[in-house]
Amino acid sequence: MSIQTLWDAPKRATVRVTELVAGLNPLVVNRLQEMGLEPGQLLECFGRGPFNGPMVVQIQDCVYTLEQHIAQQILITPQP
Amino acid sequence: MKKIVLVGKPNSGKSLLFNQLTGLRQKVANYPGVTVELKTGRFEQFELVDYPGAYSLSSLSRDEEIAVQKLQEAMQLPDTALVICNLDATRLESSLVFGLQVQALAKQQQKSVVFALNMADELQRFGHQLDTEALSKALGSPVFAISAKTLLGISEFRQAVLELAELAQPPIPSIDHGDEKALRALSRSLSRQFGISASIVLKNQNRIDAFMLNSVTGGLAFLLVMFLLFQSIFTLAAPLMDGVESGIAGLAQWVTGYIGEGRTSDFLNDAIFGGIGSFLVFVPQIMMLTLIIGLLEDSGYLARAALICHRPLSYFGLSGRSFIPYLSGHACAIPAIMAARTIESPRKRLITMMTIPLMACSARLPVYALLIAVLIPEQSYLGGLVNLQGIAFFGLYLMGIVIALLVSFMLSTFVIKDDAKSDMPFILELPNYRFPHWKPLVVRVLASAKSFVYRSGPVIFAVTVLIWLLGYFPTDAGGLQNSYLGQVGHFIEPIFSPLGLDWRYGVAILMSFLAREVFVGALGTLFGIDGADENIAGLAANIQADGLAFGTGFGLLLFYVVALQCVATVATIRAETGSNRIAVGLVIGYGLLAYLLAFLAANLL
Repeated sequence: MSIQTLWDAPKRATVRVTELVAGLNPLVVNRLQEMGLEPGQLLECFGRGPFNGPMVVQIQDCVYTLEQHIAQQILITPQP
Repeated sequence: MKKIVLVGKPNSGKSLLFNQLTGLRQKVANYPGVTVELKTGRFEQFELVDYPGAYSLSSLSRDEEIAVQKLQEAMQLPDTALVICNLDATRLESSLVFGLQVQALAKQQQKSVVFALNMADELQRFGHQLDTEALSKALGSPVFAISAKTLLGISEFRQAVLELAELAQPPIPSIDHGDEKALRALSRSLSRQFGISASIVLKNQNRIDAFMLNSVTGGLAFLLVMFLLFQSIFTLAAPLMDGVESGIAGLAQWVTGYIGEGRTSDFLNDAIFGGIGSFLVFVPQIMMLTLIIGLLEDSGYLARAALICHRPLSYFGLSGRSFIPYLSGHACAIPAIMAARTIESPRKRLITMMTIPLMACSARLPVYALLIAVLIPEQSYLGGLVNLQGIAFFGLYLMGIVIALLVSFMLSTFVIKDDAKSDMPFILELPNYRFPHWKPLVVRVLASAKSFVYRSGPVIFAVTVLIWLLGYFPTDAGGLQNSYLGQVGHFIEPIFSPLGLDWRYGVAILMSFLAREVFVGALGTLFGIDGADENIAGLAANIQADGLAFGTGFGLLLFYVVALQCVATVATIRAETGSNRIAVGLVIGYGLLAYLLAFLAANLL
């Protein structure tokens, strides 16, 4: 199965987090983990906002927006 | 007095719970430079302290850091009897991590915790039964399902909180939280066991967002909302502002009527009442804008608007949330600077506040109107569709925006350092769409007016009185031209002469520090036109007859586009940033840039 970043995740798709790439500020990684962004977690992607804007994604019971440089550090595999 | 601490996540009804427990009277403590606010109210025999909403106890930004630090301090106080942790009952999965962190901190400090799972009315609507008894047992702290909106379960909750807080030794949470990872795992398993399914809660929200965040329909909705916002700060606030002005004028007349004409009467009328009016006049706009932003925030739309604007504004070092302050700045910089409080990143908030004064506020309109009437012939093309003066107006507005974006870019790239906690990554929670409750809105609107009057009012008042004194005395000499201000104008003429401007313009520019539109009236006095505000065409004709070179006049326009010459704005920036250095630095910086542009225009055009 192909691995890609969350930034390039297809619109209206379920994806599984595989890894948080080292390179993000540890404080930000901690926050993402608290939000539920951990390997194995399933996410619903709603695609990028207007103007190629931040990625809109549902993690557990919340919808968040993640800007490009963060979404690009999160590796995912699309789920069938 | 013993304290009860209220903490919780944003968008979970915490403010409303606070209002329901304490009523509408509250004290607000601000911390300059950050948006951290501690609200205190009376809850029976206790003092209820509302801490800012937080997503986590490990902070990302300076605002969060200070909020968490204040909370930790409160937990250590022997006076703190109890901690209420307010969470969104419909979103246990994303709430319980924070809830458990608070509980662990409380346990460390030997404090008791009560969980208020707010918005339980929505759970009821979805037909979900939350087993609070079992969850209490699992958490080792009492749990209540409540709704601050419908008052569901509030009286039992009140009762229980009061009883617990009165205990000499309230129960300390017994569960073991483990390390961060264990805490997250515990939160997840509890929420799976007790929470409602996310797909039920988010169904409506996601359906509306499919429309609101779509590039076409969402864009149109955004334009409509912003149009209404802009219209209302211009049109709805205008009669209120007129009301404030005529109210104060009436009061002044009534008071001075007992005194009779003379120096005392002039002083009371123009300096004292004029001075009070000079800051009270901003209050309606501030309240109006706070109300609209409050409505947008509490309904959930503000987060979407920020998302839509984020990308384009991020190129200039701004946040998506900078858009509304920028837009509002076209009506008036003062409410706009206060509206910047909603910007999540301290660094971006500072950049936004520093560049808002470049927006073409309504006080610049009369100045633009006068100078355009002097410089640009009234000419229309395409059968009246395109008007040359109209284009000039538009150009000046656009110029303000472009310069603001350029300055933001420079500030963000070169000046304001991106140290560890000054910036906040744009991780935004999209809250559910909800109908706003009036109570927190009313409190918020009143608090915004109060904080402006207390923090900025005195400075604006003092400067107004000072400029009045300088423009009035020595009276025996007669008229503005012979006043101290006129003398200062003559004295500083060498500063303005490289711009091609004589002392009369110098005096008018100095006077316009009161408010830019004063420029027109002051120039009118010096050019022998009474009531120039209502007779711009007459004054324009006089200025034309006097001979104002195009380059000089255009330079003067550029000067007004850039210069920060509004004492109310400077006072507000000082109050909001908590820094004299920034406020004074901006006056000097924009002053120099304005001068340079005016100089280039006067000498090159």
